[in-house]
Amino acid sequence: MFNQYQLNGIFDEMFEAQDVPRPHYESVFGQLAELSSSAFQRRRRMADLSFRNQGITFTVYNDDNGVERIFPFDLVPRIVPASEWTMIERGLEQRITALNMFCHDVYHDQRILREGIVPPELIYSAQMFRREMIHVNVPNNIYIHVCGTDLIRDKDGNYLVLEDNGRTPSGVSYVLENRAIMKRVFPALFASYRVRSIEDYPYNLLQCLKELAQYRVDDPTIVVLTPGIFNSAYYEHSFLARQMGVELVEGKDLIVDNNFVYMRTTAGLRRVDVIYRRLDDDFLDPLCFRGDSILGVPGLMTVYRCGNVALANAVGTGVCDDKAVYPYVPAMIKFYLSQDPILKNVHTYNCQDTSDCNYVLENLNKLVVKSTNGSGGYGMLMGHISTKEEQDEFAAKIKSDPRNFIAQPIVELSQHPSLVADHFEGRRIDLRPYILYGKKPIVMQGGLTRVALEEGSLVVNSSQGGGSKDTWVVEDVR
Amino acid sequence: MGCGGRALTTQSEIDGQQEDERPIPKIVAATKPSRRVGERIVQSSLVQSAAGRSRPMLSRVAEAMYWMSRYVERAEHIARIVLVNSHMLIDLGELAPDMQEKQWLGVLRILRLDQRAEVQESLLAGKPLIGQHVSDFMANESNRSLISALTKARENARSIRENISTEMWETLNTLYWSLLGDDVKQRFEECPEEVFHSVIMGSLLFQGVSDQTLPHSQSWQFIQLAKYLERADMICRIVDTNFDILQSSGDFCETPLRNIQWMGVLRSCCSIEAYRRKYIGDMDPLNLAAFLLLDGESPRNVRYSVKAAQEAIAGIADSVHPQDLDSAERILGRLCARLEFAEMSELTGSSLKGFLNKIQLSLHEASSAIENAYFLH
Repeated sequence: MFNQYQLNGIFDEMFEAQDVPRPHYESVFGQLAELSSSAFQRRRRMADLSFRNQGITFTVYNDDNGVERIFPFDLVPRIVPASEWTMIERGLEQRITALNMFCHDVYHDQRILREGIVPPELIYSAQMFRREMIHVNVPNNIYIHVCGTDLIRDKDGNYLVLEDNGRTPSGVSYVLENRAIMKRVFPALFASYRVRSIEDYPYNLLQCLKELAQYRVDDPTIVVLTPGIFNSAYYEHSFLARQMGVELVEGKDLIVDNNFVYMRTTAGLRRVDVIYRRLDDDFLDPLCFRGDSILGVPGLMTVYRCGNVALANAVGTGVCDDKAVYPYVPAMIKFYLSQDPILKNVHTYNCQDTSDCNYVLENLNKLVVKSTNGSGGYGMLMGHISTKEEQDEFAAKIKSDPRNFIAQPIVELSQHPSLVADHFEGRRIDLRPYILYGKKPIVMQGGLTRVALEEGSLVVNSSQGGGSKDTWVVEDVR
Repeated sequence: MGCGGRALTTQSEIDGQQEDERPIPKIVAATKPSRRVGERIVQSSLVQSAAGRSRPMLSRVAEAMYWMSRYVERAEHIARIVLVNSHMLIDLGELAPDMQEKQWLGVLRILRLDQRAEVQESLLAGKPLIGQHVSDFMANESNRSLISALTKARENARSIRENISTEMWETLNTLYWSLLGDDVKQRFEECPEEVFHSVIMGSLLFQGVSDQTLPHSQSWQFIQLAKYLERADMICRIVDTNFDILQSSGDFCETPLRNIQWMGVLRSCCSIEAYRRKYIGDMDPLNLAAFLLLDGESPRNVRYSVKAAQEAIAGIADSVHPQDLDSAERILGRLCARLEFAEMSELTGSSLKGFLNKIQLSLHEASSAIENAYFLH
């Protein structure tokens, strides 16, 4: 099945040269190479059926063929040796620590703005900067409790941070389910490895949420707030509530009274202490943010600002997700921690900067242009495969609103063998590890590897037809 | 009666407009009747201290749990009734061609489909209402079909996925997909029996799995409550409709045909084997009605179901407001007594209809009382 495998001149996760697997892939390669195509296909069908019967699906909008889809799962596991992982882990801890200090600073003393490290106009013009949070104290001064940071590898195999998701990152349920399914359909592959367990994630998340409770610390009522069954990540919301054994609530299940939040139960109202909300700031409270939202809880922000309920993540963390703020993260690390960043950023052109903007406009065909608040692979221009019309369209958009755009050189993501029809081909991947921050950062020992299933495509988002892989952090072989 | 519902009096209301569908979820929360919040808090603080051991349940979750269970039970009944009728009509076949139409119309009445526009149309157009037509209808996705009942059961389950066991969810989800696969049209055409049978077995499996994987606390009790209310109601409707048909055909039917039809009634209620053992196969209408309505041992009859529903609501009420008597509990308790101490004369001839009406009315009152007490906070 590896007969036609091409290295394509980019970094390959499995092979260091044609037909020569890296040491940590030797055993997996050996077993897969011996497997017949039909045996592999059989396992794939087992996995698909398993996903469907368990209802592990996500919702695709604008799709006539029903709304529920299986997240395509690629059975070849992605392996990260422990030595590499240690570096990633340290880098992520450093990053989330700095981002949390940044959030606290921005909503309090604003030292980083006053000292000119980050331009104030950038922050005040950020769509997701929340004035309502100024001088509001959140528990333990932590804003980002759950973070999903997207990492990619360049031509030389260096890990780079592509973006931080400090609002409501999703996908962690797939990490756990992918592992469960791999154990079910391919137990033999695990045999020669010591793969680190990821099963403690829901437990760690629950501990992290418990630490947010200000009162009734011994027995807080914790809930997961979902936008509802029609949300694309509904499965995950339900999954996490189930794994933690807490209630999954919708906005209409909650009510604010006398400056506390209650949920409506068969036995009347019951007070809620901590809300793990999977709802963007905008929809959280119609009295404070978008008035047309019926997903949230009227009055929630007032209760939150009084400290009578805790939210994870805190309101206002979107300011770190702004793609125009992202280039300043290395500077934040230096400023708050006096350290050098362990994980590097991808070089980024801020279109608000005149010289950067001119460079971007002249080199649209060599760059990826992104809107600063876009996500899910929407609102992007992939310069090298774009038409002249698309480039002109983006040029006009950038000129009319430079604050809203950034550009990055096209990074050749690393590739990994994936099943295509009846054999393996190289497909581009990224990696999203999940970091929890209760009293200290905890990095999950694995992550979501997303695969661009189209040949040559660099976009891995599930909304753009991407799939995923089980990701193993393994103790070093030698 | 404390349930705030309107009293139903006429048969047409019971037949036609009874609210036995889950109301479509309202998008704007504000349209629900608002109550004074303060009252509830006082009440709930009392409750929490008294019932600290049981965890409160979201009203939305309770409602979805209830409807999930009702729709699974309903799907099972739909499948069984259609299946039994197709079989019975093969036996009646040549002997009584005019029974075909009557019998299928009966099926539609039981399923509350007889008033539907397309059914009325085909009746007016003089098209024969044959089994294939009904089978086809059950396989499409319109309201009150088999597929629609299962879809609603699964949608409700999906919205409370974290509150039911993984095994329950997988059982229901697998059943759902087995009926929505690409090959289902073909399966319906080749062997509808296989499809209906798989739904019956799927529902029974779901109930067994629920009993053995979910703690027998409030959630489970809502499942029991809904299941038995639906079952009691369905059996009443089956008995009512079939006795009508058989009485209206008078002496026209010969005894062998009659027996086939009585057996059909028992089969539709999943009770034929139990009945045979008790009455050694003697098909007497009075025994049959007594068996389906008043027997205390068979889980497939009205008295047993009402008793089980009453126990479930008593359990719920006890964990939620132990001091007060629940109004649904009171209604079901009274109904239980009526069934337990019924006289055989109440089941003979024309009094049977009135008796059934009263049962159905009480069941309906109990449903509204439950909705008011637990779902509409």
